[in-house]
Amino acid sequence: MNILVIGGGISGISAAKVALRGGHDVTVIECTSEPGGLMARIANCRVGFKTFFDEITDKPRLTVIRDARIAKVEKRENIFTIILEDGQSIRADRVIVAAGLSPYDPVEYKGKRVLTSLEYDAVIDQRNGDLPADFEKIGFFLCVGSRSKEYPLCSSVCCSYTLREVKWTLQRAKPEITVFYNDLRFFGQEFLMEKAYRDAGVRFVRANSRYFEEDDDGVTVRYFAGGDLKEERFNYVVLAIGLRPSPELERLSGLFGFSRDQFGFAVEKEPLKTDAEGVYVAGGSIEPMSIKDAILTGFGAAVRAVGDGGRHLSEPLEGKVYTEIPADLPDIDKSHASYLFYLGTEDPWMKMFYEYVSGRFIALARELRLLGKTVCVVSRNMVVPSYGEIEYEKARREGVVFLHLEEEDSITFLENEARIARKDRETVLAIDKVIRFDDYLRLFDGKDFLIQFRSEPQLRWSPTKWSREKYHTGFIRYPRAERWARREFYGALGEILLDVEEERVLPEVSEDRCSGCGSCKDACPHDAIEMEMREQQVALFGPNVVSGASIAHVKEGSCVGCGLCAATCPSHVISYPM
Amino acid sequence: MNEEQFKAIFELTGYRQQDFSVCLGCKICASVCTVNDLSPSVNPQDILLSLFLGHEVNSDHALVHYCTNCYRCTNACPWGIRIPEVIRALRESLALESTFERAFKGSLKIWGRVYEPYIFMKTGVFLLKEGYLKYMPKWTEYMSFHLPHGVRRLSSQGGPSDSKGRL
Ligand SMILES: Cc1cc2nc3c(=O)[nH]c(=O)nc-3n(C[C@H](O)[C@H](O)[C@H](O)COP(=O)(O)OP(=O)(O)OC[C@H]3O[C@@H](n4cnc5c(N)ncnc54)[C@H](O)[C@@H]3O)c2cc1C
Ligand code: SF4
Ligand code: SF4
Ligand code: SF4
Ligand code: SF4
Repeated sequence: MNILVIGGGISGISAAKVALRGGHDVTVIECTSEPGGLMARIANCRVGFKTFFDEITDKPRLTVIRDARIAKVEKRENIFTIILEDGQSIRADRVIVAAGLSPYDPVEYKGKRVLTSLEYDAVIDQRNGDLPADFEKIGFFLCVGSRSKEYPLCSSVCCSYTLREVKWTLQRAKPEITVFYNDLRFFGQEFLMEKAYRDAGVRFVRANSRYFEEDDDGVTVRYFAGGDLKEERFNYVVLAIGLRPSPELERLSGLFGFSRDQFGFAVEKEPLKTDAEGVYVAGGSIEPMSIKDAILTGFGAAVRAVGDGGRHLSEPLEGKVYTEIPADLPDIDKSHASYLFYLGTEDPWMKMFYEYVSGRFIALARELRLLGKTVCVVSRNMVVPSYGEIEYEKARREGVVFLHLEEEDSITFLENEARIARKDRETVLAIDKVIRFDDYLRLFDGKDFLIQFRSEPQLRWSPTKWSREKYHTGFIRYPRAERWARREFYGALGEILLDVEEERVLPEVSEDRCSGCGSCKDACPHDAIEMEMREQQVALFGPNVVSGASIAHVKEGSCVGCGLCAATCPSHVISYPM
Repeated sequence: MNEEQFKAIFELTGYRQQDFSVCLGCKICASVCTVNDLSPSVNPQDILLSLFLGHEVNSDHALVHYCTNCYRCTNACPWGIRIPEVIRALRESLALESTFERAFKGSLKIWGRVYEPYIFMKTGVFLLKEGYLKYMPKWTEYMSFHLPHGVRRLSSQGGPSDSKGRL
């Protein structure tokens, strides 16, 4: 089959990978001079993209056309003929749209010291030489160009990438850093990173600002927090710009006849499939998403595209996909007049459930509101990325009251009332029934959530792999909105397909240098490392003494080859052949 | 409840109580508010939250007195909420007039336009008394740049986010 992939970003390349592995001919067209998309514009992601792409560049069945712009599309008997502006024509049985995202450009606020995240990324890029001399105080401002009247979606990734920019900054210098946020929409382990940075002195303030007065030495910023207006100077201000659908998507939808929704993203008639026959969709063309999800949907879209041709994937593949249907929150007694949901926890490990519980709380709050109840949601952090923000907005319009706690605010629950203590005042809410985040964590007890171990980029991207026999999707991969479960299912099939024939690479331990510290054992999510005792002959002076020392040993049966151990070992004793 | 206030607000701005719910609580409005150039620490979002919760906004709220109708908050607000119009409606329902409004209206009456020297004359005492002298240069700027905004249409077509035909 001929598969055409439109867009050479990470999602397009992922789709190409799976289609090639399935034995199909793949053409990737990229409208710029080089594949890479947004990832290639981020210093620390560039290499990751290149490594990923290099794995297929020499495949004979792959054609990559750069600087390609589609002029015309014809479809006859289910075969597309795509004519490029330079006259080339491509025949394709299936088309995968992976046109990606377009970063918002906040022209009205930008300056020499007020930078977008992309501009800031170039500042901290090693390749661009030294950091500016005055690099002492940096302020990050989230949600610029998202969650607004013009574009009501949350861009999903800007909180996370801001956290990474904080990390990359701290790897090079030690400036004072403040992150100004509306909600911190992190995922999985990122909450642990957040905690680590807080402990290291990074300040988080729940307030935003658009007062940036720039002069030659810095930027004066005003913000309102703790009941007061504050004014502070920063050397640089970084605006976490949102991601919107690529403007190309409009043209593509005209050419191929698929629909877009009111926000400009492609509509999925079925998971990863548009409403135009033979046209599939992946990555940022569906909704704002992270790199890992772009890979996942790329894999999945290819599985769907080649699978719909009648050649179905074999049962054994599907047998490896593992999912779990979540137990729902226990029934709520609906006889009360007023309800308060409290969305907050102190335990950073539990915060990865914010996304799932936020969604559930909003749904429940709306349900109760429709019954005419007084419903209030007090939140430390409402994690409703992407289209979740729309549900959140609906709930607000329907009269659910959302109160945001600032960093220093605290809430206490007494019988039939909740007290919110703020710096300047106390708010007392009369409430019959309180429903707390922590009450629901039982649902998650004793489960092996994949993302608990895997939200940071690894040497190898494996969006669903738990072990070679088990691929997690849905709730047990990472609890989030339901629409993801089916996409993940197809994504997992793609990942399995890629793994089947792949030579498994095991980490190698240079035993003579291993100090037996056990860091790798702790790092391994699959219990694949055991510490073995090794007899050591120690001959200093006099007779030989035999003593025991432990060294790391990799158990072949359990190792999935994720490379985390190699990344963790403090003395680089474990190597991972790439 | 404050039926009166809501009636006044709806008549003047077209906003209903639930329309204030779109506010994210980001406090961007407070960061840019002109009143904070003078006496720091007003938060326009406060007013929206009070209204949304059905609380009365009373006449001693600093913004009700000092809002300059500069529309800086509206321009910066992610949801473009027309806060100054809400405040004008509140003033109406509370039968209040700010020092500036009196001065502007006086100026319009006498000169048929905004005549800065007259406005300074009328507001000077207030500015001096409150220790706002150092902000005078900024004020001149706002008056010349922002006043046209201030007297622009009092839109009454629908809620704050109907631009895409969404509810
Ligand atoms: C500053 C910043 C930092 C980020 N950091 C992270 C991070 O740390 N972790 C993370 O997970 N995510 C991060 N992201 C998000 C990440 O970049 C995206 O999730 C990812 O790049 C999406 O991949 P994609 O393939 O869907 O789209 P894109 O990367 O946008 O690729 C789309 C490609 O399609 C091409 N194209 C578009 N239209 C056409 C057409 N008509 N014909 C041919 N080609 C076309 C484009 O030129 C582009 O190359 C960050 C984003 C930004 C802005
Ligand atoms: S991910 Fe959402 S909440 Fe976070 S900065 Fe982006 S738009 Fe805002
Ligand atoms: S590569 Fe290392 S960390 Fe990963 S499963 Fe194998 S032994 Fe464990
Ligand atoms: S219009 Fe009023 S509330 Fe808005 S910024 Fe100006 S002074 Fe402040
Ligand atoms: S700027 Fe707008 S959305 Fe933000 S707090 Fe003020 S009124 Fe609400």
